[in-house]
Amino acid sequence: MLELRINGFGGQGSVTLAHLLAQAALENGEHGQALPFFGVERRGAPVRAAVRMSPTTIHAHSQCELPNFVVVMSEKLVQAAVNEGICETGTVIINAPQALAVNNYPTWQVDAETIAREADLFSADGPNINIPLFGAVCRVLNIPQNIMEQTLMNKWPGANGRRNLGAAGKAYNTVAQIGV
Amino acid sequence: MKTAQVMMATGANAAALAVKSARVDVVPGYPITPQTSIMEAVAAMVENGELHARFIPVEGEHSVLAAAVAASAAGARVFTATSANGLLYMHEVLHMASGGRLPVVLCNVNRGIFAPWTLWADHQDSFSQRDTGWIQYHCSSNQEVFNTILQAFRVAEQINIPIMVNFDGFAISHCLMPLTVPAQEDIDRFLPPHQPEWRLDPNHPSSFSNVTMASEYAPFRQMLSDDIMAAIPLVKQAAQEYKDCTGMWDGDSIETYRLDDAEVVAFAVNSMAAELKLSVDILREQGIKAGLLRPRLYVPFPTEDIIQALPENAQVMVLDRNYNFGHPGGILAAELKSVLFGRRNDVIVKNRVMGIGGIDLTRRFMAEQILEMMDDKKGLL
Repeated sequence: MLELRINGFGGQGSVTLAHLLAQAALENGEHGQALPFFGVERRGAPVRAAVRMSPTTIHAHSQCELPNFVVVMSEKLVQAAVNEGICETGTVIINAPQALAVNNYPTWQVDAETIAREADLFSADGPNINIPLFGAVCRVLNIPQNIMEQTLMNKWPGANGRRNLGAAGKAYNTVAQIGV
Repeated sequence: MKTAQVMMATGANAAALAVKSARVDVVPGYPITPQTSIMEAVAAMVENGELHARFIPVEGEHSVLAAAVAASAAGARVFTATSANGLLYMHEVLHMASGGRLPVVLCNVNRGIFAPWTLWADHQDSFSQRDTGWIQYHCSSNQEVFNTILQAFRVAEQINIPIMVNFDGFAISHCLMPLTVPAQEDIDRFLPPHQPEWRLDPNHPSSFSNVTMASEYAPFRQMLSDDIMAAIPLVKQAAQEYKDCTGMWDGDSIETYRLDDAEVVAFAVNSMAAELKLSVDILREQGIKAGLLRPRLYVPFPTEDIIQALPENAQVMVLDRNYNFGHPGGILAAELKSVLFGRRNDVIVKNRVMGIGGIDLTRRFMAEQILEMMDDKKGLL
């Protein structure tokens, strides 16, 4: 069972990102689970969500305390996210404008904000960084690009939904492992 | 079996989809976190014509259940849902539904009780309604929520007793998981239309729940008690026939996991019991013969099935997500000890309270707790 935690700020779309990843697992022929932690919701407050993927039924219903992957929605949260727990062999995926490595952990970086801005993907809270991050995480988890695209189109069909594919695809192909 | 549909659904959506599959007639509702998502989904289905039911928004939970009682007495198949203090506010009418022998199905999305306020799961709300004459299921997965609502309608309508289907707020209700929705044809085969033997009908006026003398009241209450006990074989039959119709199985009155040769048995309900399967695996890897016994039924308590299933000389670790005020420990442990007394003196029962107000219960934490309890010489025997 693969476990992943998303650390973000309220309003960045962490819940939707978690839902997309769980859905992608199902599209990919696996079991998926998205378990966001719902607290007293406030824009800008730190939030987290658990995601699990497994070839067999998922019995876990807790938050991921030692996940295999940590997705950090903002570089301001990197240290807090790692301190919260990650398994020894874990990997970190960061949204940051520049290369940023986390000590002791393989780190992938993607500039989700610039990609979202360039694709003109905005909501009331700002650029929809969760769409490019979804593409980037799918790449790191080796989820095929067509599964990633199919998941997005199933959630937001039509011409408007198609706008997500460019941003997610760009992130899928530009997310890079730092120092490799 | 026809082709089933597999989709991603939260526990709340699974409940709403079961309401649709059960072809419910009337749904009175009032919002309370974390149940609200069920009512939102059901209201949307009624609005867009997917579900041909009457949705009745009411001004509070006491009235919600009053509306449910009235609709059920008129012969409708009725569903509603609530959580925590909403359930407590229904308390008086819960008795009216069971005493009136009305087969309402209610989802209680478990949440800790005020005061102080909390939004997250523990089991004080449902367990505190033990003596209301309702049958109570407790579910440990999204799929089981869906399956159990259908089984509950069937059992409730067979014996005219209302049923509460409980599952954890957020850990299940807001957890997105794969859900298998069987073909409507298979569900209809399992759950025929509701055909009450009696109903309120203005064309054939009759009185309902009048004042009774003790000579009438006492036999009514005895009948309710007897019929609740008689539900266990019906619950088992419903689980078996649901499996025959859909291929799915969550256990019947109990669910067991790696129990046959177990020396240490975890005993718990709801989502923590699903996570405990992983704790059992962790303990097995450490060479400890661990297993799990999860009661699906809380009322009636599945006494005989528990007594039969527990391996000889087992240490049973009851993990309670509630308090049994006035006693050390939790309510499940007290229930278990009361049924084992004099019948399974070989079994040792130990108990800890944990996860109150939604404190995260991870597989590692619960495995560690069980290890500590094994060493606990005094425990709560």
